[in-house]
Amino acid sequence: MTFFEEQLEKGIFQICYCKNCNNTIWPPKEICHICHNKADWKESINLGKILEFSKKESMYFGLIEIDDGIRVLGDISSTETPKVGQLVRMNVSFNSKPHYSFIVENN
Amino acid sequence: MSKVAIVGTGQTKFSKDEGDVEKLLFESGNDCLQSTDNCDLNDIDGVLVSTNSNSKYLGAILSETMGIRPKISHSIEHLCSSGTNAIISAYAYISSGLSDIVLVSGAESATNPGQILEWDKSRGSLEHPIYWGSMLTKSHKRKFQTTEEELAIVSAKNHKQAMDNPFAYSNEPKTISEVMNSKQITEDLRILDCSRSCSGSSSILLASEEKAKTLSDQPIWITGLGQKTTSASFTKNFLGKIESTRIAVDLAYKMAKIEPKNINVAEVHDAFSVCELMALSELGITSNEKSGEFVRNLFNTENKMINPRGGLIGAGHPLGATGISQTIEITNQLQGKSGKRQISNAETGLIHNMSAAGTSSSIMVLQN
Repeated sequence: MTFFEEQLEKGIFQICYCKNCNNTIWPPKEICHICHNKADWKESINLGKILEFSKKESMYFGLIEIDDGIRVLGDISSTETPKVGQLVRMNVSFNSKPHYSFIVENN
Repeated sequence: MSKVAIVGTGQTKFSKDEGDVEKLLFESGNDCLQSTDNCDLNDIDGVLVSTNSNSKYLGAILSETMGIRPKISHSIEHLCSSGTNAIISAYAYISSGLSDIVLVSGAESATNPGQILEWDKSRGSLEHPIYWGSMLTKSHKRKFQTTEEELAIVSAKNHKQAMDNPFAYSNEPKTISEVMNSKQITEDLRILDCSRSCSGSSSILLASEEKAKTLSDQPIWITGLGQKTTSASFTKNFLGKIESTRIAVDLAYKMAKIEPKNINVAEVHDAFSVCELMALSELGITSNEKSGEFVRNLFNTENKMINPRGGLIGAGHPLGATGISQTIEITNQLQGKSGKRQISNAETGLIHNMSAAGTSSSIMVLQN
């Protein structure tokens, strides 16, 4: 498992970035793709906003932008139809693959 | 750079059954050589294979199976656009003088990997293409007021056109109503909005200008090429755009010295219904706002200029063979050999093939 995956397993989304050029590296890699220096890590604040969403069976899912412009696909928990631009809180886990889930903030 | 022509084509029927990649490659490769005028196996100095199969050394295996001992032989994998990437590699070998005649064969088994890009951590557990397809579809509806009926027309049109394609995996017509009432996959996608993985193989023979004259009395010339990869991860994309297609097609139009209005017939990468609408806009054939109306007019007037063989939705999507099959369709159209699918007086055709939610695109312009 990679460091990113180990941290997801602990419920922590680590943002990969380069201290040298302040570039965000997403998806995470060991080396910065701009200056090729070793990447560093910082914890996400776990907040994001909905860029787009749809629904599969009873579960909403969508494209969410979190810290530093990072975008992920994840489940959205909401009792009402979500809205584009709505703020969401992120929970993460790892079970053979990453899982990102979001809860609408004002629920 | 010297000119490069398409001088032979071969295909197997696409099917939902599991297929043997080595056998499929031989079948379309053999069919391709049969279509040429007296091609001597000893003259073929390149054999390229495009596939997402995990089988190894397929370029050499196909060469040995066909009785060819080429100078250059290898496989090419680039997800859904492996086929056009292989053809463009063959073009480069020939135009640079490293090769004179190259056989390009693509094949896939319905169960081959390729739909899922495990590397892309930004997709989380939502790895399947239906999730990004849903995002593109919902976004198109929101930004351009595209209706579900307009999206369904893309599928109904392509299924109807596939009825006249003997190599399509299905020849069943689907009405707009049948598409709109087909199994719901997500809130924004029905099963008939989706292209389906299948088994199949397509092959094409490319030759230098000098050799082309001896192999075909109707060589079709590759006059424009453009490629662009903007990323590998879906979430680097901006919804509502396929940036890689826009950049690649600009390069191809410049190389061929043509404009969108010169295109008589085009194969576009309709992985999902919405992708055809978006591609038509990026290719400059219409705009996103008018794309729904554009395909409605094509459907109502039975104008087959876009995806005459039925596209990926109608014909099926054996990943490594798709780009080659698209190229064969445009070749046949420019040779006047497309039977009921024939576009009259076609002189210039375009192929649009892309990978992984449009993170990479290839464009080819062909002329007769």
